[in-house]
Amino acid sequence: MGKVNIDSLRSLIESQTGCTCDVYPEIGNDDTLIIPPERLQGVVALLNDYFEGIHLSTITAQQRETRGNAIEVIYHFYQDSGFSLMITLPEQSPELASVVSIIPGADFYEREVAEMFGVKFTGRDETPPLLLPEDWDQGPPFIRKEDNDE
Amino acid sequence: MNKISIPIGPQHPLIKEPLSMKIDISGERVLGGSLRLGYVHRGIERLAQTRNYVKNVYLIERVCGICSHIHTTTYCHAVEALLDIIIPPRAYYLRALMCELERIHSHLLWLGILAKHVGLDTIFMHTWHDRELALDIMEEITGGRVLHGANQVGGVRFDLDKTHDAMIRSTVQKLKTQVEGLVDVIENEPALIARTKGVAPVSAEMIRKYCVVGPVARASGVDVDMRRDNPLPPYDQLEFSVVTHPDGDAWARTVVRAEETHESLNLCERILSDLPDGPVSTRVPRNVPAGEVIIRSEAPRGELFYYLRSDGTDKPARLKIRTPTIPALCLLPEQMSAIQVADIPVVMAGVDLCVACADR
Amino acid sequence: MLQKWIEKTYRWAQKNSLWVIHFNTGGCNGCDIEILDLLTPRYDVERLGIIAEASPRHADVLLCTGPVTKQTSDGLWQIYSQMPSPKWVVAVGSCSNTGGVFHGSDTVLGGVDKILPVDLYIPGCPCRPEAIIEGLLELRERISNHG
Repeated sequence: MGKVNIDSLRSLIESQTGCTCDVYPEIGNDDTLIIPPERLQGVVALLNDYFEGIHLSTITAQQRETRGNAIEVIYHFYQDSGFSLMITLPEQSPELASVVSIIPGADFYEREVAEMFGVKFTGRDETPPLLLPEDWDQGPPFIRKEDNDE
Repeated sequence: MNKISIPIGPQHPLIKEPLSMKIDISGERVLGGSLRLGYVHRGIERLAQTRNYVKNVYLIERVCGICSHIHTTTYCHAVEALLDIIIPPRAYYLRALMCELERIHSHLLWLGILAKHVGLDTIFMHTWHDRELALDIMEEITGGRVLHGANQVGGVRFDLDKTHDAMIRSTVQKLKTQVEGLVDVIENEPALIARTKGVAPVSAEMIRKYCVVGPVARASGVDVDMRRDNPLPPYDQLEFSVVTHPDGDAWARTVVRAEETHESLNLCERILSDLPDGPVSTRVPRNVPAGEVIIRSEAPRGELFYYLRSDGTDKPARLKIRTPTIPALCLLPEQMSAIQVADIPVVMAGVDLCVACADR
Repeated sequence: MLQKWIEKTYRWAQKNSLWVIHFNTGGCNGCDIEILDLLTPRYDVERLGIIAEASPRHADVLLCTGPVTKQTSDGLWQIYSQMPSPKWVVAVGSCSNTGGVFHGSDTVLGGVDKILPVDLYIPGCPCRPEAIIEGLLELRERISNHG
């Protein structure tokens, strides 16, 4: 297989799950699709079936000042070439469906995003903290913007 | 029989780094385990947002003391991609040379640790002695044994001359003989085979499910290597073979790593022969234009992932580091089921933990 | 007279058999690998009577590497309090001395001296094995001079 064609991937996702997705052009070397948060689980399940086990490189979360500090969660996949799924969540009480049941390897990545950005992953077991101390109570989550301004 | 939970760590002779593990046992059988990381969490991703691109090279180098060079290499590639500059080809080759030397040092270090855990102290002493040869080369050309300070955005900070070339070639030759002996020992030493063969085998399906990368994946027959699949320069110009093994047990991992060391030594010689002439660095601007980039590279332990976003200032807006140890750690509790208590050290050593990488 | 002689003998014995325990308080592995290197053929500190010990109950010297992170600070104190007196603490590497490159991070407290009384600082990032040996020899001298 060669490079994953983002347009065929897009039409695959749109025809199979019925969700609309846009191409996000700014990540230079990795094709990225923006999908609505509630569709994430369906799309990941579809990709996992389609590629017969997909490799999830990691999950990145970040805040972008230009979008009103909304939390962006990016799922980076690799299947002969890299491509990503981007989800935008509100800054207040962000919630996202967990994909651990589809890709068990997402466990640590989700826990890290949960600790660092306060994203709540639904549909998975409650876990003790992975990186931060148990008694971490210094206000907002670790890498959140308001905590980080200097 | 009753289930007993044993806490291991954070300080424990079995592991050199702070990592806490709870292992459930029943008699001699291990039922499972759970992990607790974060003892080495230094908040590097967040610290990187408060320092400029030049200072970050020093910070990133200290993510991990074993694979420091590949971290800075990947970071520099990311910044250079955002700046949209191509550095002199000689710098790419010198970076690759250091990457391969680092792989040799990391794999030999790991082989020593595994040998120590199975009780073969002689092999531990031998591999660590051989490893010093690789460190000698790195010290000779960059000035640093473990952290090298070799990279900068826009190139490298060292250059080779004729004496270096001869010195590296002769040392690599010496190392080759040693590694060939080592491969022979691994394949034939009955004590090592008895302790590692058939221990905690991992199927290719499990590797895919847990997104495991690097030598652990290759030892289960999953043919992935970012140097070949998604090459950064100059790996697209270099020829090398990717070592895989179908068995997936602790022994297969040992064989894969030993043979990879040999392949890396060959690669070092190839890089020296192909080394182009010219400068080793270019001047780069301080401010990086706004943009986002993803770089994947092959660290000694597998796929290393960097995501870098710039907002046009001299500091990164977000730097995400995913090190290859994290998925391997994810797989560890899974491997812990259905083994004997005596096999715990072999299994823990087998995945080549680097907690400093995983915690950042 | 006898007491003096006993004390002298005691110090002589102690100086020649330092048992060290190594604790990584949050370092990057650089210094840790160099400490492990001390046991291998090229540096071999056992010829100086220095043995790496796994249990704090048996150790005289605590070698700390790395900046103290919030999570290891408790463990560090526990290990120190488990060691029998007389005991010495050696801070190995820049991070362990001052917090080093990680200074300013919210999860890092700083150098080892924020938690424990440090007897000897060995600078370097990472320390060379020769520097660590030099430091341990200096510690031996101090033991034989001051007890």
